[in-house]
Amino acid sequence: MNIVEVHQLTKTFELHILNGKRITALNGIELVIEEGEIIGLTGKSGSGKSSLMKCLYRTYLASSGEILYSSQSGVIDLVKARDHEVLALRRSEIRYCSQFLSVIPRVSAVDVVAEPLMRTERNRDLARARARQLLEVLGLPVELWDAYPVTFSGGEQQRINVARAIISRPRLLLIDEPTASLDARTKDVVIGLIRDLKQDGTSVLCISHDEYTLGKMADRRLHLSGGHITSGLTATI
Amino acid sequence: MSHHNEHSWLLKVRNLTKIYGEPNERSVELTGPEFGTNICPDTDSIVACAGVSFDLYPGEVLGIVGESGSGKSTVVKLLYFDIEKTLGSAWLRPYGDGKSNILEASGQQKRYIRNHLMGTVYQNPRDGLNFSFSSGGNIAEKLIMAGHMHVGNIRGRASYLLDKTEVPVRRMDDPPAAFSGGMQQRVQIAKAIANNPPLLFLDEVTTGLDVSVQARVLDLIRELQQELGVAMIVVSHDLSVIRMLTDRTLVMKHGRVVEAGLTDQILQDPQHAYTQLLVSSLL
Repeated sequence: MNIVEVHQLTKTFELHILNGKRITALNGIELVIEEGEIIGLTGKSGSGKSSLMKCLYRTYLASSGEILYSSQSGVIDLVKARDHEVLALRRSEIRYCSQFLSVIPRVSAVDVVAEPLMRTERNRDLARARARQLLEVLGLPVELWDAYPVTFSGGEQQRINVARAIISRPRLLLIDEPTASLDARTKDVVIGLIRDLKQDGTSVLCISHDEYTLGKMADRRLHLSGGHITSGLTATI
Repeated sequence: MSHHNEHSWLLKVRNLTKIYGEPNERSVELTGPEFGTNICPDTDSIVACAGVSFDLYPGEVLGIVGESGSGKSTVVKLLYFDIEKTLGSAWLRPYGDGKSNILEASGQQKRYIRNHLMGTVYQNPRDGLNFSFSSGGNIAEKLIMAGHMHVGNIRGRASYLLDKTEVPVRRMDDPPAAFSGGMQQRVQIAKAIANNPPLLFLDEVTTGLDVSVQARVLDLIRELQQELGVAMIVVSHDLSVIRMLTDRTLVMKHGRVVEAGLTDQILQDPQHAYTQLLVSSLL
């Protein structure tokens, strides 16, 4: 089953403060994501990788085309869906994990990770217990669990970010450079966690420049260049 | 969020309009962002807000952002009945099953709605708190208005709420005037949520507080929102407050909504020229 079908997706930014200058980030994207598939998205900086991901999450409004998402309650076009429908999907099915943790002041590492689960799970202690489990698997030192991530190192923040993205076991995970600032061992743990989600049927679109991560994880790769998908080769695993 | 039902709105607002002075039929037409003013050139009447429409869903947090005089506070004041509308309708699901325009309700019904179904936190604690009562007394007042009569229960609930909002319970009998600004805001929040309302208005609640105090108040609001699943309308000129608290945002200028969308979309892919300017000015 296809969980996502993107047709003729175009994104053009119109910058009013620069006299209406127009920048085209995506041009006629065609993309299908199957249930339980991990797609590695590659391409140079500025090729449109993040724009594509943000259009799928509706952080960016597509200029034209359609993004058909097969939700648990039917097919919905994320280009035209109403805001509250998108919010409901974000709560229950779709997660986006950016490259950098956007830190919330005065919220502990455990609570930052548990938060997405607290939105759907009434039992807050259960959500926190699950967060601690994940942080343990990811090797975040116990003494940091109740600290505020604002002061953490890049690698520590990234682990929080990944844990937060996967804790609610989404149906569609959009993840940007999940292993970029991690050591080899932690990298393997993150790859393992994402493959574990795949076993449960989660579909993953993953931006990465890391050959090792892509080789271990991606079922298929897509290469973006100048806002187009220029190649898609099948992975060798 | 546990109360979230994606198919039924909690609050529906249509064409909400407030004009001060004596407008004519062209006052709305001749004001707004494209005219760069909210003052009618014919009549000098002030179009504080016009044509504001939106739906709010249970447990959702809606931000209203804009500069001073954009009309953002007017929207909340109209919905909380602090001021009278000129035009427009609003329906609240728990009141008459959402079939009756609350802006046309009688004074007595409006008091019922305020006391049972809404809470508000103002920028100035003096607008939300009675400074001649103790802080516990302020909460008790709200509870009594909402029909709670048992003194022991009221005191118990007041101390629970003060504890929840991190105000030392031993200071329950002190008047708000003896408190710091951040603590006054927390008493206001305790009072606003005392009746477990499904809808809460927050109007510039952290403006004027020190950064560390501000973070603490915002954190408290986030936590209460998650725990109680209360829907909120957060009015702020500060985009970082909007970013931290809200799911969706309306951007207002010269009394009109110029853009509405998911908060991350508004911040990262603003469509309107004014929103682009606002976002590009964000520190």
